[in-house]
Amino acid sequence: MSELPEALRGPLIARLTALADDEIVLAQRGGEWTGHAPILEEDIALANIAQDELGHALLYLGLRSALDGSDPDRLAMFRDPGEYRCARLVELPRGDWALTMVRQFLYDAYEALWLQQAQASRYAPLAEVAQKAVREEKFHLQHTALWVERLALGTPESARRTQAALDELWPYTAQLFTPLEGEAELVAAGLVPDLARVQAEWEALVGPRLFGRCGLKRPGNSEPRAGADRATHTEHLAPLLLTMQAVAREVPEAQSW
Amino acid sequence: MASVPPSPKTPDTPHPDTQWPRWEVFKQDAPQRPYQAVGSVHAGDPEHALLTARNVFVRRPAAVSLWAVREADILTATPEELTTHPERLEQAGPGGTYWLGIKRTHKRSMTYVDLVGSCEATGPGDALRQARDAHPEALTWLVFPDAAKVATDPDPGTVESWFAPAQDKTYKQQQHYGTIGRHVGELKRSGLMPARATEEPHLGTGVSGPGPAGRGDEGSEVKAPGGQE
Repeated sequence: MSELPEALRGPLIARLTALADDEIVLAQRGGEWTGHAPILEEDIALANIAQDELGHALLYLGLRSALDGSDPDRLAMFRDPGEYRCARLVELPRGDWALTMVRQFLYDAYEALWLQQAQASRYAPLAEVAQKAVREEKFHLQHTALWVERLALGTPESARRTQAALDELWPYTAQLFTPLEGEAELVAAGLVPDLARVQAEWEALVGPRLFGRCGLKRPGNSEPRAGADRATHTEHLAPLLLTMQAVAREVPEAQSW
Repeated sequence: MASVPPSPKTPDTPHPDTQWPRWEVFKQDAPQRPYQAVGSVHAGDPEHALLTARNVFVRRPAAVSLWAVREADILTATPEELTTHPERLEQAGPGGTYWLGIKRTHKRSMTYVDLVGSCEATGPGDALRQARDAHPEALTWLVFPDAAKVATDPDPGTVESWFAPAQDKTYKQQQHYGTIGRHVGELKRSGLMPARATEEPHLGTGVSGPGPAGRGDEGSEVKAPGGQE
């Protein structure tokens, strides 16, 4: 598709913004472990993953920029919490290592599957970005899957923490698969993956792994903790953005940082 | 802080290593290139060692394959060590195929041990002897059994997700980043920075200058401390 129909521009911008905001906020949470991870190697690994996610955010905001001329740096650093469109799952505090790994695993599986399908997007720039990002995402998924398995099957303490993390995070996952306004038209035009299909694949991927191989219990409370509305956030987003945006806002004339 | 009394039980024991086992990482930059020992990682099991090695050593540079070998499975020696510990050449262990690595030079700060080939050996000592005989000029020899190595999958999917992304990433030199304020070089050229750190004004306010008139004297050769204020 070379010409994007005008009616689809807004919904596509909204989807790209949601994708980017999830990545930015999750990257910030991952970055919080720098200097604090259980071992040096994992400190480096998580920083790598966080930087990759930030790189993906830049790709998505680059696509948005081509549609509306917006500046990715301005969007990341000068929007207030109410203007962010991230899912509540990624805003939650980083918790312990189990929570960090379980969240990253649940998210990586979603992103890898979304990107896998987005490679067939009829919007060529998105297909190109998806082909690039899906490779890294598959690697992230391998890394976090390894950790979730070892924590779940490790000591009674690590198993308890992993189950607790899953119980806490699970109700937040539904929001990742909730279509935005106008998204059905994007799907019908073949521009973005159908989230219902992504969700089915995600369940088929994470279910057997978590509840079979890892021996974790399916959380009893799966009542979604968040709906379609990505403009309403947990109380955790504002302090996160305050930290993340501090330098940019204090030194707005900085050329790069 | 009060000094800790020496433990009566273990006065001479070195600090215990509480980390996971150490794995030496060998990286291949391109097909047909030798694997090089690039460093080590701590990891709980072989799969973890490879994933960690990829994160630590292959974020930027090119690579197509990684091997990880547990430290305990590696035997190394320098020529000096063999004169004091010739028994290392007798070290017993599993027979079979061994990989041989050598370090050739100290010249650069980043010189690695290259794997130069493999041999059939009756054990690590025998493999070390063969490495020494084949490469008498080497600065270090390193051997390990082929059976001890774990390697990344050579399938295209793994190469795509583990190694291909690094090739698209550029390493940004420091000067890529913008400078806030004025660049140090610019300050130096306009004489606002002392040329050498050892010059007297850097010694602090408690140190006297060339004389009572030196301080704050515009014509003085030595600038007073705090002159930038």
